[in-house]
Amino acid sequence: MSDKQSTVLGKDIGLTSCPTCHKVTCAKSTHCSRCDAPLTVRDYSSVQKSWALLITATILLIPANVYPISTLTNQGRVTQDTIFSGIAHLVKTDMIPIAIILFVASILVPILKIVGLTIYLSAISFKLPISKKRLMTGFHIIEWIGRWSMLDLFVISLTVAVVNMGQLLDAKPAPAATAFALVILLTQLAAKVIDTRLLWDRLEAKDDSSTNA
Amino acid sequence: MAMEAVDNSITLCQSCDLVIRKRALPTGVRAICPRCHTPLYDTPYCSINGMLALCLTAIFFFAPANLFPVLELEFLGSMRTTTVIEGALSVYHQGYWLVGIAVLTSAVIAPGLLLLSILMQILIIKYGLNSPSLRTAFKHALKIQGVLTQLTMLEIFVISFLVAAFNLADFATVSFGFGTFCFTMLFIMTLFLMREYDLEHMWSYLDER
Ligand SMILES: [Zn+2]
Ligand SMILES: [Zn+2]
Repeated sequence: MSDKQSTVLGKDIGLTSCPTCHKVTCAKSTHCSRCDAPLTVRDYSSVQKSWALLITATILLIPANVYPISTLTNQGRVTQDTIFSGIAHLVKTDMIPIAIILFVASILVPILKIVGLTIYLSAISFKLPISKKRLMTGFHIIEWIGRWSMLDLFVISLTVAVVNMGQLLDAKPAPAATAFALVILLTQLAAKVIDTRLLWDRLEAKDDSSTNA
Repeated sequence: MAMEAVDNSITLCQSCDLVIRKRALPTGVRAICPRCHTPLYDTPYCSINGMLALCLTAIFFFAPANLFPVLELEFLGSMRTTTVIEGALSVYHQGYWLVGIAVLTSAVIAPGLLLLSILMQILIIKYGLNSPSLRTAFKHALKIQGVLTQLTMLEIFVISFLVAAFNLADFATVSFGFGTFCFTMLFIMTLFLMREYDLEHMWSYLDER
């Protein structure tokens, strides 16, 4: 990083990189010479697509948390648990480490993902003055932690299969499970479709002026 | 289509499109974009034979990991067990098909396809790069590699065994089955395999001839 890095972009010198195999190709060609994937210098529609996915995910986050995610029958008594009441129950029974794992995976990660992606997309759409480096770091973290939300669904599927003894002891999934699965799917897609190069094009250099000194 | 001469010593950042002049790197060092800090490239050690050994070991654990019980529950004298696949199917049959498909995909189908695809890629590199049809197969495998890696969630499933066991300890006696051991081994082998694997490097095999 010590040598003088001028900010010359690929699009300035007529080059673009393939989104699939990362090969640098002439921007005029429509398909990659190595893997035949279609090339675009910038994908402007990706921002709208990502907004649409993110808004749908945000709406679904409400039923995912309000409705019960599992139903348990224990000696004839039926109890329904939401994501939150399930975690609260674990806290009460002193299983704090498990409660923390589930809290992070099922509540914190989805919310952080939605808030983070909203900030990220707003920065592109409304040219908010936020440090691009910070946004990009946040974006990489979101991409990495997003998948951990699957944990609760795995736990439910194992529980439902193993706890299945009629009136005595029985576990079943409940409606929030589907809503929660959709939240995970849609937020992962929302992060995947964004063309991150747009963020770097649209924001003014002054937001990062301190780091360029 | 006329391929215009593209300078091979430069690369573009995937995240921000900055033009970067490539330099030789010592092993273990990763080049990072000076503008947005996205990892750019490194010198992979990527030993094909090492990957082959890891890949075969992982495939060896794949079947028992999915066929043997992972959780065993004892309640009032009766015993219930479940495998990973039975878990996915039981939520599916309760009407939660989206959840069932998600579990099946990320714990069974995607890891299985990933291992088979890497095995095929290794065999093509070793023996078949001269055949045009195998080169096409290689290209297609590399194209779906990214999706398969993202869909593979073995590490999360390993943690979910623990969480489910602790959750149930409240009601009944729970123990881990032989499947849990195989699944954990499958996860560890796949983890080491994916450390050796470098997609950029795999693509470069297509440039060499
Ligand atoms: Zn390509
Ligand atoms: Zn960059």
